[in-house]
Amino acid sequence: MSSSAILPVGDGGILEAVRVFLGSLWQKKLIDVLLVPLELPSGGNVVPAIVSDPSKLKMANPLAPIMPLNSARQVSAITRASPSAERLGVVLRPCEMRALIELVKLKQVSLENLLLIGIDCLGTYSAGDYGRFAQEVKSPASDFLRKFQEGKEDPLLRKACQICEYPVPMNADLVIGLLGTDLNNSILLKAGTVAGERIIGELGLKKSDAENREAAITKMVSEKAERRERLFAQVRKDVRGLEKLMATLATCVNCHNCKTACPLCYCQECFFDSSVFQFEAEKYLGWAQRRGALRMPTDTLLFHLTRLNHMVISCVGCGLCTEACPNNIPVADIFRLVGDKVQKDFEYVPGKSLEEELPLTTFREEELPNIGT
Amino acid sequence: MDKLNSVLVIGAGVGGMKASLDLAEAGFKVYLCDRSSAIGGTLIRVDKWFPDNHCGLCQMLPVFSADNSSRFCLRRGLTHPDIELMPLTEVKEVAGQAGDFRIGVTSRAAGVIPELCISCGLCTEVCPVETASEFNEGLSPRKAIYTVHPGILPYVYTVDWDSCTKCGACVAKCPTQAIRLREMEMIKQLRVGAVILATGFEKFDPALASQYGYQRYPNVLTGIELERIISPGGPTDGDLLRPSDNRTPKSIAFLQCVGSRDNRKDYCSSVCCMFALKEATLLKQANPEIDIHIFYMDIRAFGKDHYRYYQRARDELGIKFIRGRVPVIREDSPTKNLVLTTIEENEASIKRQFELVVLSVGQTPPPRFQELCQVLGVELNRWGFCRSGLFSPVNTTREGIYVCGSASAPKDIADTMVEAGAAADRASGWLERRMISTTLSEKTVESAAEKEETPRLSVLLCDCGQEISSVLDLEELAESSRQLPDITCVMRIPFLCDDDVWVKVDQELRKHKVNRLVIGACSHYFNIHLAKLGFNSSSAQIVNLREHIAWVHRDNRQAATDKAKNLLAMAVELVRALEPEPVPPMSIHPVALVIGGGLAGLMAALSLTHHGIEVHLVEKSAGLGGNLKQVYYALEGDDPQVFREDIINQVKTNRLIHVVLETELVKTEGYAGNFVVSLKANKSSLYFLEVGAIIVASGGEEYRPTEYLYGQNKNIVTQRELERKLFSAELDLKNMGSVVMIQCVGSREKERPYCSRLCCSWALKNALRLKEGNPEIEVTVLYRDMTSYGFQEEYYTQAREKGIIFVRYGLDGKPEVRQEEERLVVEVAEPVLGGRLVLESDLVVLSPAIIPPENTPLARALGVDLNEDGFFQEAEMKFRPVDFLTDGIYVCGLAHSPRGMGESIAQAQAAAQRAVSLLTRGSLVSGIAVSETIQRQCSQCELCITVCPYTARMKDVESGQVVVQGALCRGCGACVVACPGGAVKLIGFKDRQVFSLIDAAF
Repeated sequence: MSSSAILPVGDGGILEAVRVFLGSLWQKKLIDVLLVPLELPSGGNVVPAIVSDPSKLKMANPLAPIMPLNSARQVSAITRASPSAERLGVVLRPCEMRALIELVKLKQVSLENLLLIGIDCLGTYSAGDYGRFAQEVKSPASDFLRKFQEGKEDPLLRKACQICEYPVPMNADLVIGLLGTDLNNSILLKAGTVAGERIIGELGLKKSDAENREAAITKMVSEKAERRERLFAQVRKDVRGLEKLMATLATCVNCHNCKTACPLCYCQECFFDSSVFQFEAEKYLGWAQRRGALRMPTDTLLFHLTRLNHMVISCVGCGLCTEACPNNIPVADIFRLVGDKVQKDFEYVPGKSLEEELPLTTFREEELPNIGT
Repeated sequence: MDKLNSVLVIGAGVGGMKASLDLAEAGFKVYLCDRSSAIGGTLIRVDKWFPDNHCGLCQMLPVFSADNSSRFCLRRGLTHPDIELMPLTEVKEVAGQAGDFRIGVTSRAAGVIPELCISCGLCTEVCPVETASEFNEGLSPRKAIYTVHPGILPYVYTVDWDSCTKCGACVAKCPTQAIRLREMEMIKQLRVGAVILATGFEKFDPALASQYGYQRYPNVLTGIELERIISPGGPTDGDLLRPSDNRTPKSIAFLQCVGSRDNRKDYCSSVCCMFALKEATLLKQANPEIDIHIFYMDIRAFGKDHYRYYQRARDELGIKFIRGRVPVIREDSPTKNLVLTTIEENEASIKRQFELVVLSVGQTPPPRFQELCQVLGVELNRWGFCRSGLFSPVNTTREGIYVCGSASAPKDIADTMVEAGAAADRASGWLERRMISTTLSEKTVESAAEKEETPRLSVLLCDCGQEISSVLDLEELAESSRQLPDITCVMRIPFLCDDDVWVKVDQELRKHKVNRLVIGACSHYFNIHLAKLGFNSSSAQIVNLREHIAWVHRDNRQAATDKAKNLLAMAVELVRALEPEPVPPMSIHPVALVIGGGLAGLMAALSLTHHGIEVHLVEKSAGLGGNLKQVYYALEGDDPQVFREDIINQVKTNRLIHVVLETELVKTEGYAGNFVVSLKANKSSLYFLEVGAIIVASGGEEYRPTEYLYGQNKNIVTQRELERKLFSAELDLKNMGSVVMIQCVGSREKERPYCSRLCCSWALKNALRLKEGNPEIEVTVLYRDMTSYGFQEEYYTQAREKGIIFVRYGLDGKPEVRQEEERLVVEVAEPVLGGRLVLESDLVVLSPAIIPPENTPLARALGVDLNEDGFFQEAEMKFRPVDFLTDGIYVCGLAHSPRGMGESIAQAQAAAQRAVSLLTRGSLVSGIAVSETIQRQCSQCELCITVCPYTARMKDVESGQVVVQGALCRGCGACVVACPGGAVKLIGFKDRQVFSLIDAAF
């Protein structure tokens, strides 16, 4: 399944090449509908949308450096109750694809009738940064790609993206490859599954050997990993220990935005939104009485620890929790740091493979011998 | 005449406990008597067992109607409303017959009245007599009034009449006048339908093997003594210190077969190899620097997973194995080290010094066993163990009396557990089954409904004489308890363990309409009293004021009282927030499916029908009998073919058994009591059956050798082929010159690291038969470890006496079989002389491994696990040997592991017993702690289904909701932990309850 083809880049640029490719999926009757980021008419933002009319593809922009929400969650919204009856293509970034795989394991997504189209991710901006950037430049996607080609550090990249070591989608049927290609002439279309391979065949595209791809990926991953280690060292210093952790979380207003933004927090009704955490006045007053002062709202630390406990093993590091926080609590940094340790301990990479069982659902007699020693 | 529903189990060791628990779980009344004053037999002196280095004793506790029984460590005690413990009791007289025995027993007085004893221990403190503690194998002292071991519950004291001087010091000191220093015997008559003999073994007295200097040399110990020394509860608190100088020895030698496999004891004790391996493994793991040698004749690691354990000990832990018997031990008197001179295989004499020597002493019948068997009217075999039959392994020579464990032959725990189950099966055939719905859990469910009103609480505080009240301010506690919410009455009671006070308690509780209870007392088991009053373990909480507070905080009364206040407040919150939700009982389909029509399957099916259970017997092939078809002789002389015809005939003529041939199971849905199985007959479509239980007896196969030129020469055959040729008399024995047998073909190798258990006895059987046919035939057996365990040793001895030659080989020097023109030549390294042995042979006989068939499809269809070798994986290797983790599915025979015919039969009967216990219930009531799903919060991720070890959770096909079968739920709480959405709750431990409880603590 290593077949790769060339998507030629013409005068319309890369974005046009991608749109043409997406349109050809309709022409060849390979999909009925497509979930893809569309530019808002205002031009200031991009949101995921289900496209049923191929003419709308002229607004499609999966290359713009913005991910307002993790679309894995949208795929779950569409397919959770029942599988898609029509052939649904979904264009996802690597972290979205990984979250999607986790949600499949958690039975929140059905892959039936789905065509997974991944796209290499060069990173994204915060919504605000992107809005300003989009105002300033003519074509945000091409300007962003140009910046990338020039090889300069892009200070606008979100912290999560700066340290993301998964720029390439895993488990996609098809991958739109940007890394290791000369973006001025062509981009890559790579098959990840038998289905993807068949599609490449049907589209009648010119084969490619993608010779520079691996090297480009390796380089990018190692740079990001280096940055990640630096960040981890800093975060460890900032949040380790109950006192520092509480200080970091002190400004939490219990809005639960991080939970809403998280692609993996899949509960229909969050335990922390349930009546279990609504107490009678006498309780609050009693606690205050006993301690002298009671921080309000209560249970914010428990909320974050519980979310960490439930989700960190599957955390794909998309960083949208931090984006969603009104008080700039570095939620994602904590999740990445803790996740890195837990995932390593269980030898688990979230979103890597559908075959790998969620660690907490398996039992091995000899497991984690290093814990507690 | 109506049948009786009670049974007597003699011996409260591990076998007797298992048989009793199995019978009680199945709804019978059990009298469990023991000569000693405590339960547990030999096993309470041993902390961990091979082959998993775990204890796991509690795994024996009932699975169904579990709340009836105490749920704590069985080392400490056993409480079940249907098991009457009779300590210090011996059987004196047996009259009547199977179905209606009248048994006279005498119980010696313990000297302390259990109802009055408050376990304060003052008697022990003042007792002037010191004697050796049996619990610590005499390595530490105890008093003449004592508790048998430190963990025992209830902590009732006993007088040892042999050492008691009746000075009366204890009587004067006892605050409750509980001590009566009068030796008395009470005579009691029991009427029981059947008897189970589970008297276990006595260890061989190593003083009789005087060459080893046991008791003369302080640093020569027995295995059990070593066990006590490394036990945290032992004389050195678990530090490995040798007796002569309390120093940790740097080198230890284990001597195997002390009191086994010699002229006096011509049998193998079966367990000592593994016991020594286990000791050595534990020692090495704790102290890797100790040098350990094991001197052995053959390592008999024949049980499931035992060979792997041996390999680990040898290859990973570096324990050294020296083959050879140590003739004598001398002591190096200045150092008290021990000098061993051994003649090893290469006949070199080597002298070695060790700082500690451990004797692996064998099993012998217990003292006065012969006398007991005479009373019972059962025969002994020539070794003094109880006689049993090959095809009736748990039957004695008297109908209605059954035997299990080491009472009939030396045995390890796993085999004892199987036999205990089989004995329970046989015994219950004589008993009237009582409807289990009359037992405790049913009643508690009925009464739970009454409590669906506002909580009305009572707190009972026990003084325990002075034991609690001398440390805790009970008045202050009573006062603080009265201030807690919803309290209607608080009572102080001098002794809550006094049965009579419960009448008064009942009156008070009724008067105040109390529906929730908190008890501040001790570790006493109150559940039976509570059940009578309509409380269960969630509507009544017990705070252990004595052990958890008074005894550990004697020096700080105020802090202790404060802690007690908090714990009582927490318990009050827990029961206060309880919302009783009776779970409807689950109906049970009283039909069984048996998979496999070989020996185990046939025997299981027959056992099931003895209890009136309808059986579908499904066999893959076109006929019944399985491997048994090809067994013509038994080592012990019985005729397997006559037996086979007999049982097949019984099965075919039994109206309750439906035999279905050429059919396989392809799918299982449902759960214990209510399975729907899909069966596929050859080339026909699927059909479905509803069954309540499934017994897997799918058998094993003989490995087809690819080595030793097998298949290339007609004179190279397997043992099975030889047996057929012997039976059909097609061999010209008169003109046969020599036969070479090769053992371990495909067993105990890299690909198959297990012992096939049967092949050594098979080789002995055929070798002896060849010699019988023509004593002139030269028979040579090439072996690695002769594994003629138990009484099979007799035949090994016989074989050597008849001139059969045994030559050992190692994995590094495997025999070579060559064809030289017309002749077959076997060449092998000769370990004693060191040269090469070249044997010309008319016939080469291979002993191939027993291998599992491709079990994966069946395991998948059943939803059960296989072990690394491809055999079915039972729930727990020792204590639940025929259960799967999934309730309602059981395993026996070669499907479980290689085993002999008698062993397969015992296992089939044990599996049948488990199935019968489930199927004769009518309905199954759930336990008290049961999980449930809040559908509104459920995201249907099914994590809870994945983690449930008991298949109690499933997705309902129609509603699409995740639901719980309450009767299968054991309340372990794994689902609660797995659910991120808080949609899973455990009744009795809901969020609000736990929050309130935590809140009350601070």
